[in-house]
Amino acid sequence: MDDYKFLFKVVLVGNAGVGKTCLVRRFTQGLFPPGQGATIGVDFMIKTVEIDNEKIKLQIWDTAGQERFRSITQSYYRSAHALILVYDISCQPTFDCLPDWLREIEEYASSKVLRVLVGNKIDRDDREIPTRVGEDFAQRHNMYYLETSAKESDNVEKLFNQIAAELMEQARCKELPRYDDGNLQNMNRRTTSVDVTCCGN
Amino acid sequence: MKPRERCKEKDPYEKFVEISCSSSSRWKKREKMNTVSLNFNFLNDVGRPHVLFRASNRDAGMRRFDAQKMLRSRLGSHRHFEEISSPCNVENLRNTFHMNAMAYLPFSAPALPSCFSCTCVRPRYKRLVDNIFPPNPQDGLIKSNMEKLTFYSLSSPEKLDRISEYLFQRVSRDISRKRTSYVIMAMEAMDQLLAACHAQTLNLFAESFLKMVQKLLESTEPDLQILATQSFVKFANIEEDTPSYHRRYDFFVSKFSSMCHSSHIDPTTRNMIRLAGIRGLKGVIKKTVSDDLVENIWEPVHMDKIIPSLLFNMHDSKYYSSVTKTDREDVKNNPGQMADACLKELVGRASFGNVKSVLKPVLRHLDNHDLWVPNDFAVHTFRVIMFSIQRQYSYAVVENLMYHLDENSNCSAKKRTSITHVLSKIMSFSADECIGPSVLEIINSLLGHIRISAARRQDASETTYMEALISCLGEFTAHLPDYQKVEIMVFILSKIPSENSQTDILLREMLLKSLLIVAKNYTNVSLSGTFPAPLLGPLLRLCSHPETSLLGQEVLQVLLDRHGNLLRLQEPSFETCYLVSEPVSRPDAMFLKKYEEDIYSSLLLTVTDPGHTVQGALTLYTTLALIGIMVNLHTLPTYLALLVRIQDIALNNHSLSILQKINLHSLVVILLNLIANLLTLSPLQAYARQIIEFRRSGAPYMLEDLKENYVVEEMTTETSLMLDEGKLAECLRECGLDINTLSRVLTHRHSWIDSTSGNMRGSNLDLTADLDSATSTPGYQRKYPNEELTFESMKKILTESPEVYKILEAKRQRELFDLFRNSTFEDIVNHNTVKDEDTLQCKLEEILSRTQLSKPTFENQPPIFETLFPELFSC
Repeated sequence: MDDYKFLFKVVLVGNAGVGKTCLVRRFTQGLFPPGQGATIGVDFMIKTVEIDNEKIKLQIWDTAGQERFRSITQSYYRSAHALILVYDISCQPTFDCLPDWLREIEEYASSKVLRVLVGNKIDRDDREIPTRVGEDFAQRHNMYYLETSAKESDNVEKLFNQIAAELMEQARCKELPRYDDGNLQNMNRRTTSVDVTCCGN
Repeated sequence: MKPRERCKEKDPYEKFVEISCSSSSRWKKREKMNTVSLNFNFLNDVGRPHVLFRASNRDAGMRRFDAQKMLRSRLGSHRHFEEISSPCNVENLRNTFHMNAMAYLPFSAPALPSCFSCTCVRPRYKRLVDNIFPPNPQDGLIKSNMEKLTFYSLSSPEKLDRISEYLFQRVSRDISRKRTSYVIMAMEAMDQLLAACHAQTLNLFAESFLKMVQKLLESTEPDLQILATQSFVKFANIEEDTPSYHRRYDFFVSKFSSMCHSSHIDPTTRNMIRLAGIRGLKGVIKKTVSDDLVENIWEPVHMDKIIPSLLFNMHDSKYYSSVTKTDREDVKNNPGQMADACLKELVGRASFGNVKSVLKPVLRHLDNHDLWVPNDFAVHTFRVIMFSIQRQYSYAVVENLMYHLDENSNCSAKKRTSITHVLSKIMSFSADECIGPSVLEIINSLLGHIRISAARRQDASETTYMEALISCLGEFTAHLPDYQKVEIMVFILSKIPSENSQTDILLREMLLKSLLIVAKNYTNVSLSGTFPAPLLGPLLRLCSHPETSLLGQEVLQVLLDRHGNLLRLQEPSFETCYLVSEPVSRPDAMFLKKYEEDIYSSLLLTVTDPGHTVQGALTLYTTLALIGIMVNLHTLPTYLALLVRIQDIALNNHSLSILQKINLHSLVVILLNLIANLLTLSPLQAYARQIIEFRRSGAPYMLEDLKENYVVEEMTTETSLMLDEGKLAECLRECGLDINTLSRVLTHRHSWIDSTSGNMRGSNLDLTADLDSATSTPGYQRKYPNEELTFESMKKILTESPEVYKILEAKRQRELFDLFRNSTFEDIVNHNTVKDEDTLQCKLEEILSRTQLSKPTFENQPPIFETLFPELFSC
């Protein structure tokens, strides 16, 4: 049933090949698709999580990392509630690009967007970015930090659940600019209330 | 009527599915143990030991849960509950369970009345909705019940929102339980209701409808997504007349754009999803552009999604490269063509302010995907845009592309060239719509790019770029009306720099080429229309300048040529019958009479330059021949005088090489022959033939062909081989022309200042050099250089600020100073003293004697105003 209390938009960004799609797949479908092709444009997934007995619907937009799709991916930043910036801990260049990504986020996303830095592929042995470095970077730029492995399903659930919890907290404090002017949510609430009146009698 | 539900199925489940839940009395009679065991048996029969239970399923509330608990206790340890995800007969199973659960209610609930009310008060619309679904999903919607529902919703439209709400709930439930066939049926019902709805009541319905579509789009099933899109498109095609304040489409834009980029493994499915995405976008566009209250689709946040998605499909399907395919079936199934059509529709609806918001993402997409080089796709895209955009806005496309070129002025020359090519391809569409300043703006911008490019380090690609710019300019101007072409030529001329730095030489050349390309598209109707004063003056100055004279004359030739004589006049020849000429019109004759002096004297400067080449002489021949075609009897004397002057240069100018002189002599006789034949004046023809004959025997090197290199020790200057003024005058008299004009023109050609100004090339004196010499002729009023007493000049004095004149004056002074400062003493002496005093002496005597002789006729000379304003008195 469509009885979620909150709807949040989460957008994943980061260089090509850092494992954004795999993270999303692992979280939404529980799969780790090996040999995943490069995402074209933008992919869309939905998943409902439950935090504190509240249902939260996450709209997850998985963007292409390739430079040529930059213009279309940027257009998805604006309405995002949370941005997950992913890099590959075994690939220094993906980490080096982070400042560029941050600049892009500054430019196109809302200023209140929740930003999370994710170092992916911790299952790999050839780590190039120590956890410390990632943490420092995240701290300096006022971001949350988490290291994950989509392959081993490490921290994936945690990542999205934490985001959902954090966003819900924010929403409760009314800090969050309501997506869709709260229209959709209002409608959904009404749905719920209609349900109650119909079946509760 | 008592509510009664009887579900019959033909499959093995039949034995237990038959459950009546309508009347409480029957419920009482039914033994719960029976039902449960029945259920148990069934489960065993089917061999599927699962019973569906979903915790999230809330609408049945606690009662359902109780029922399930009871069932669980009945089933005991044999079975446990778990979620089943996919098998298709699960739907039946689930249905059964649902019914069973209902059946249990009386027994689980302590108070029967409450249950009673629950079933019986169940609103009518819910029953109607439930009834349309068959127990067996393969059967499809129950038609008659669907009709009932439609009738109900039409007769009580206030219930519509509830009906749709309830349908939406059902769909949500069915989606989460993966009962796809029921979802499809619900959607079908929704579509039918939508179609049956009146426009006024649609609003009640639309919200739930859109939520349902969204729900379907959120699922990962391609089938559901496609189905949702189809419904959405149906919805988009309905014209609404009531405002919809709450509707939001941004999810749809996002999702459809995402679908356009589908990377599904199966190519067929991928194509289907992409097609659906494009159709969906088309629907959103349709729905939003006409309605001001909902989303502004032209916002960058939407356009940045829609446009790249369309372009991606247009490019990805590669169909643009095989345009010949116009199969109707293909349009429907090819995402590229579909996207093409969608883009057309979008662009077609764009108003002036929105053109930019469409073009910006287009340009960005082309940049991001490196689609400028090669530019097939860019050309295709812009063609599509130009074809579909409202005509009056097409200019904005050109303008935006122009800005893009500005922004990319630091990119590789290849990319710039490609952009320029695209620009020139679309220029033709927009030129018709351009008006006034916008035309000059475009021209100015193109000239600006030429200037920037000319200042760059030159290599092959930069040259190609400049050529592309020039051809673009040509393409643009070709579609403008002729009067605007003249304006543009004047404009280009005003941009040609006069300084002499190295880059400017190239720039001048490029600008002249631009001028030429404009001139080529121009059709000369009347000389005065073609050459307004601001065009003729600068052009003649360019013609007289040795560096630019070839191109300048080429422009002049193109503008003069009316009958395609230009090609025939490339090679000098005595044969003139192939030239096309027409009687010279009066305005043209007047124009020529007015400006002939200016034109001829600036052309003469090109040959007095000792550096001129054979090409220069050839060009001069072509130009003079083209002017010759315009000459009539009234302008003939001056023309002949010009020939004599050329001959004099060849005879007396010592700075010219022998070869140059020979070529000039040849030129003179060829032109004499030409003009005589064109005007068919037999005495003149005879005289020309006579000279030709003489030369053929005496000096064959002074005939038709102008020579590149020819070794001749000494050139004969025998008078019989040359044009003789006396003979010419005689010929003219024989033709019945007043020879005064000729002699007058001829007499002051030896004035000393003539040669000075000839050497001071590029100076402003050149146009007025002959006027100065007029002082030596009796009966002439002294006139100052640069001060013509014409209406034009008076007007100029009135309209122009004195600064301009002062600047010109200062410049002239400076040039004069420079000449005196920088030249050697010998040079100055050479320039300013009469070289052959003997000639001067005898000429002076000759003139004096002639004036003596013509003393009586002097009284008859035309009054001064007639000589000053010949155009007012010419017949």
